[in-house]
Amino acid sequence: MINRNLVKVLSFRYPIIAAIFLILAGGLVLLPKYEKQKGIAPQELLNKSTSPERYISTDQLADIIINQDPSYIFVDVRDEESFNKYTLPNAVNIPLKQLFDEDLVMYLNQDQFDVVLFSNDNFYADQAWILCNRLKYKNLHVLKGGLNEWYNTIINPPFPNENMPAQDFELFSARKAASMYFGVAYPEQAKKEVKAPIKTAPKKIVPVKKKKKMPVEGGC
Amino acid sequence: MGPLIPNGIIPIEWDSIIAILIGIAFGFILESSGFSSSRKLAGVFYGYDFAVLKVFFTAGIVALIGIYYMDYLGFLDVAQLYVHPTYLWGAIIGGVIMGVGFVAGGFCPGTSLCAVAIGKIDAIIYVLGIMIGVFIFSEFYPLFDELYTGSFLGNITLVDSLGVSPYWLIFIFAIIAIIAFVVADFVGKKIKKVFY
Repeated sequence: MINRNLVKVLSFRYPIIAAIFLILAGGLVLLPKYEKQKGIAPQELLNKSTSPERYISTDQLADIIINQDPSYIFVDVRDEESFNKYTLPNAVNIPLKQLFDEDLVMYLNQDQFDVVLFSNDNFYADQAWILCNRLKYKNLHVLKGGLNEWYNTIINPPFPNENMPAQDFELFSARKAASMYFGVAYPEQAKKEVKAPIKTAPKKIVPVKKKKKMPVEGGC
Repeated sequence: MGPLIPNGIIPIEWDSIIAILIGIAFGFILESSGFSSSRKLAGVFYGYDFAVLKVFFTAGIVALIGIYYMDYLGFLDVAQLYVHPTYLWGAIIGGVIMGVGFVAGGFCPGTSLCAVAIGKIDAIIYVLGIMIGVFIFSEFYPLFDELYTGSFLGNITLVDSLGVSPYWLIFIFAIIAIIAFVVADFVGKKIKKVFY
């Protein structure tokens, strides 16, 4: 049994397919266009920003610098004036305004080194972090608390109270040692001038033999 | 999201396995639509069978429209797709040689292997010819090197070189395809039927 209606429809199959093509292709032309979001997907950015690897603590940083780990680049995102006043040893200055300068971007857009961004607080460094991550740059970290935290913990570590646990004292001594590495001098470290003893002519000692007490002899 | 393998949704190790599966499906469809017959393939040049034109043009349009819809809906990123690099003169001369071979032998490289699979003797000869051609090309490569790697235009597409919106290009392309189908049908009706 042949379905006559189906045959009738199918005899128009080529015009139907042609019409479908035209409608779909025309649809592409007529669809409202939107600007595609470039860079990484929002979800991925969220994952990265909540990842514990995002921040690096000042203690870790001190450890890296003291051990002269060659796989890190320190990027100071503050302006040049502050950079000249004080910065971390071997840091590169990329002010936030010039973040994407062509000759500076090579420090950020690479995947061989770990980059540590820092500013006075972690505010500007975080902004730089977000901007660079949007562009899919890799291995970016932010110094937690920035240079202020660096100063408060490493350069000028607070002396623990006597009722604090032993770990705090260990941490303090580690930080103190680190700060000495970075050139902080401590009063007890300063050498007290030891007075050279004045040499005087030794007195001549003339031994005087004591008369031995004679044991009591005899007796009756 | 897509393309699936570059974005790590399918591990890269599956690459060859997927290629084999797609290849099997492609070969099956080529054979079942009669493309392993050199008479059918050559028909497009003599005007008695336009199946090749229709099938490949339709496949192109379907893929084009589908890819751009998926791109629009965010399933696929067109910018990440591989675009074959263009070596202008190499492509022109290679295309002429391939065209002559197509008319003369009645196969394109893909369909010739398909026909070998079902045991066609002409296809076996054809594939041997391909092998000899490959051998000559590789032995005399230094002679062809300049042609092969010269006039390099980069990974360009029609959208880049014409500077039009891809959507308009697809629309115009679809219209051209439909006109081509109508003309092919018209020519097919005029030309004496060939039984094969």
